[in-house]
Amino acid sequence: MSIAHSQNLNVLLQEIEGIQLTFHNPRRLRADIAAEALPALLALLRGRASYVHLSAISCVDWIDDNQFELVYHLWSYETSVLISAHIRVPRDPGIYLSVFDIYTPAAFFERDIHEMFGLYFEGSPDMSKFILTEWNGPPPMRKDFDSEKWVMETFSWQQYHPDWLQELEQQGGGIVSTPESIRAGNRPMENKS
Amino acid sequence: MRPENYQAVNHPPSHEFELNFGPNHPGIEGNFALKVKLQGDIVVEARTDAGYLHRGFEKLMEDRLWIQNIALVPRICVPDPVPMEVCYSLAVEDLANIEVPERAQWIRVLQLELSRIAAHLFFFGGHAATTGMYTPMYWGVADRDLLLDLFEELTGGRIYSIYNLPGGVRQDVPEGFLQRVSDTLDYIDGRLKDYDNLFFTNQIFVKRARGVGTINQQQALDWSVTGPNLRACGLEFDVRRDDPYLIYPQLDFDIPTEQAGDALARTLVRRLEMVESIRIIRQVIKALPDIKGPLRTPIPNPLAWRVPAGESYARVESSKGEVAYYVVSNGGEKPYRVHIRGPSAMHAVQVLEKLAVGSRLEDIAQTIFSLDACPPEVDR
Amino acid sequence: MKISLKSKKAPAINHSDSGSLLNPLKNLQFLVRKPITEPLQPRLASLNYRGFHLNDWQACVGCASCQKICDNAAISMVEIPSLPNDPVKGIRNHRPAIDYGRCCWCALCVDICPSSSLSLSREYVHTCDQQHIDSYFILPDPNGMHQQHFGKGWQKTEHSDLLSLTRTAMAELEPEKRVDNFDEIVDGFTPEQAVLEASRCVQCGMCHDSCPTHMHAPEYIRAIWNGDAEEAVRQIYRSNPFAHTCGRVCTRRCETACSIGIRGEPIAIRWLKRYAMDAVSHERIKEIVNENFTAKSSGKKIAIIGAGPAGLTAAFDLVRSGHKVEVFEALAHAGGMTRFGIPDYRLPFDSLQQDIDIITSLGVKIHTHCRIGKNKRMSTLQKNYDAVILAIGLQQGRQTRIKNSEHRHVYRAVDLLQKISLGEKFDLSHSVAVIGGGNVAMDIARSLARMQKQQYGKIQITLTALEQQQHFMADPEEIKEALEEGIIIKDSCGPQSCEIDSNGKLIGLKTWKVTSIFDENNRFAPQYDEQDEVVHNCEAVVEAIGQYSDTSLLGTELTEKLEWNRGRLQVDENGRTSESWLWSAGDCVNGPDVVHAVADGHKVAASIEQQLQLKTK
Repeated sequence: MSIAHSQNLNVLLQEIEGIQLTFHNPRRLRADIAAEALPALLALLRGRASYVHLSAISCVDWIDDNQFELVYHLWSYETSVLISAHIRVPRDPGIYLSVFDIYTPAAFFERDIHEMFGLYFEGSPDMSKFILTEWNGPPPMRKDFDSEKWVMETFSWQQYHPDWLQELEQQGGGIVSTPESIRAGNRPMENKS
Repeated sequence: MRPENYQAVNHPPSHEFELNFGPNHPGIEGNFALKVKLQGDIVVEARTDAGYLHRGFEKLMEDRLWIQNIALVPRICVPDPVPMEVCYSLAVEDLANIEVPERAQWIRVLQLELSRIAAHLFFFGGHAATTGMYTPMYWGVADRDLLLDLFEELTGGRIYSIYNLPGGVRQDVPEGFLQRVSDTLDYIDGRLKDYDNLFFTNQIFVKRARGVGTINQQQALDWSVTGPNLRACGLEFDVRRDDPYLIYPQLDFDIPTEQAGDALARTLVRRLEMVESIRIIRQVIKALPDIKGPLRTPIPNPLAWRVPAGESYARVESSKGEVAYYVVSNGGEKPYRVHIRGPSAMHAVQVLEKLAVGSRLEDIAQTIFSLDACPPEVDR
Repeated sequence: MKISLKSKKAPAINHSDSGSLLNPLKNLQFLVRKPITEPLQPRLASLNYRGFHLNDWQACVGCASCQKICDNAAISMVEIPSLPNDPVKGIRNHRPAIDYGRCCWCALCVDICPSSSLSLSREYVHTCDQQHIDSYFILPDPNGMHQQHFGKGWQKTEHSDLLSLTRTAMAELEPEKRVDNFDEIVDGFTPEQAVLEASRCVQCGMCHDSCPTHMHAPEYIRAIWNGDAEEAVRQIYRSNPFAHTCGRVCTRRCETACSIGIRGEPIAIRWLKRYAMDAVSHERIKEIVNENFTAKSSGKKIAIIGAGPAGLTAAFDLVRSGHKVEVFEALAHAGGMTRFGIPDYRLPFDSLQQDIDIITSLGVKIHTHCRIGKNKRMSTLQKNYDAVILAIGLQQGRQTRIKNSEHRHVYRAVDLLQKISLGEKFDLSHSVAVIGGGNVAMDIARSLARMQKQQYGKIQITLTALEQQQHFMADPEEIKEALEEGIIIKDSCGPQSCEIDSNGKLIGLKTWKVTSIFDENNRFAPQYDEQDEVVHNCEAVVEAIGQYSDTSLLGTELTEKLEWNRGRLQVDENGRTSESWLWSAGDCVNGPDVVHAVADGHKVAASIEQQLQLKTK
């Protein structure tokens, strides 16, 4: 991106209070701001800079901090810089503002995040279920939802007992460690030798 | 929604009626439904219904080692799996600060473009079927198989190549492979004229597709349309050029555009892109033998590989538009979060819902297909 | 790299309606075109195809790395009793079995396989009906899923190999900087190096199985990788109280068994142990060792003869069980052969002292300068204690008994090493010939070299041994370092006599070339080429051909009562002698090896504990 562009952008971004900018590389700019200031930043980037393309909104569940991180990835076709605007919102009650009025595609991402993380966006046009229409459990992308445990409780596994295995068992051999035991972090040789 | 969960609803008397396109409908690739409300044969409201292929990839990836995820990601978009692998690898490489050897970068481009051609062949075959033309479908799918043969030879898998690892690619190009790629490209190049006669300039198709599902430039930008769908509106934007990755800046290729922004324009852009991809691959075939060096920057033992804490947003131009991976690491042996930004999710949900309104029932399948959305990727 | 090829822009497509009625006639051309046909017959997959698993059972060691990398949890390890199971060599009779209901043929298992036994075949198809669903669970062998040899498809190459086969480098003193002093040679890992080295481990546990005392190496390596040295110490102390010592001079069978060692350099397990012990302060280690130890008293008393690794390990275990333990050591310091046999540059006395300090801090009482048979009688011990452990080691050097070997300048290596470690003065010769190719020979040669360098500025040491250099018993690293330090090694040399001049001065060692060492029955019977005679000039000869145990302390009466086997005390599998109150452990039972002695110490302690429990009931 040209220096002129970058200076213009810097001047513009100074209007947002408390913004912290870090260039990860010349085409990736990270902006950390307070949650209240985000709509102003997006309006500014959309309206007065050339950031028309909302590439994605990502949500990260920082459960240890009891916070959700929302990352708005904005791309400018003119400056060829991706700005990632990072905000943190409390996990509880998990409500934030929709930016649908600034970026139309936000509606899709907000609906997705609401469904997967349970973070509600006020003012978003559609917060109804999308993918998980028949799901009544907790929002599954939250870190405290243990999908493996749920799978183990919900589904039963195919049990195999082929001839070769029966033969080995007669000889005193057989299965010594199942994949599940490894996944649970149990080391099978403890009880060997 | 599964039929057993339907509830009988008493609607007030109305002239409107509801029709479900899908989830199993020849007009849609993969399981995905569009519920339309009709007045006569004019759509007044359209709602997408996804989730039939939801596998929870983003959640699964949080519970797998960095390297194990390579076996998962190609499944996210079945017709065009390579960009998923490359994009994930690029994000992890950026996080772990790994430089990819030059030879590996060229091989990645080779795969990406082969995959693009394969996806476009699949697309045009499918799209033809929506207009009732079944011969192009057989041709497209059969010719795509020749590319799958190449993938099988290079990567060991016909569809899910699982060939790119963070750091590079897994094996070298087999003996004589580039010649066979060249031969296949010659064949496909020769077939393009047939495809044109049969489909792209066939008036049965052209007249039906013209003016269907038109997006103007402003709408395209507002709705975050990307890829061929964006270029069909006359906007020459391509991640390969705007946000270059791998060795694309060294390659000579054009970005085809069309002006109309309708289903016809979208289809033609893809047809032209096949030619560009062939051009790119020919350059790779020419250059690759002289590019020596390793195929992979070694990574530590994958069972105990910790990627430094941080975040990375990698973007790749797939056959369907912008694919992006937002990968967050907390310094552990598994990703803390992977968010997949797929083009199909954008096109198939919010763009399609808007485009469908006002169109005629018979054009719905054309609209859906010309956006080239891939349901497995919508659901993830 | 710039591409010279400028390619032409693609022509635009004309999709206007040309509208001719004759257009359909274009299709006539297809009458003469070759149709696309695909023959309906099985086709062979590509050379790289990822088909069904093949496993070379000869090469597979059952390490289960495939199971760990499998992202679909498709692999179970199955024990096959008919296959060899050899923990010392790092071979387990486990083989992977694969659930094709889960497998996704990503071939990561192939690429990680330490033994390179796994590959995927060029076979495409397997299917069955619900009745035969068991056929989805297979035990791959070299023949393929349907016993039809489709040949190998995907195999590991240098590019796809996922393991890191090279050891993390560790700083050590250059030969010229180390040869005039007894400073420790290796620096030990830095924290970064230790984490990197620990990350190479695939957690197969072969090290655990092969270790005489079954150290929890996978656990402490994992802990080091997690940056938790304290947890590593906790894991180490589960099975080895001589951790500083073994972290430096262990014979490390674990590294021989290590799966990574099949194709690469094994994990530096010994140095990792040392790193963990050095990374945690001595006081903190004491706290960790004491964590689950509550002082209680059983009222039982146990006497241990010999304060070496075997005796002190037994003491460590027994004192933690609440018994009163007293150790009787003939020499001035505890530590046994680790104290008096291993030079300071390999095992600094301070490190050994830390190990001993932790054991004594638990309440073990060590009486030094207390030689049984002289200061105290065996019968007194028998009377006053509930159990007695004989852990006297191998203190006496064997002699070659060649001509003139009774000369006063012919020494036994163990005697000299003891003198050196105690700082006793002795007449250091300007040139020395050492007989022997084991670690003790290396120790004495390298120790004398250092002293010569200090006192005379010049090293003149010749080491002669019966074996060829590649078959020396000594650690290859020791040989390499000895050569670096300027020691001359003459292999395949059989000592014949010590040459003495008319004044009675030792002037050389005469050797003959060895043609073979063992006879056809594998018995020791060296054959020489008498024509190939060499006299190695030297003023002193050191014999380092092995040690034996001096059991005179037992007294005649007891010696006659006990059962013996070829000059060694006969013990059962628990280390117990034919006398119910006497156990024996360590080198005097097993031959020289620190970690074996530690294992033995645990064993007799457990046996005594069991015996005492029986008595109480």
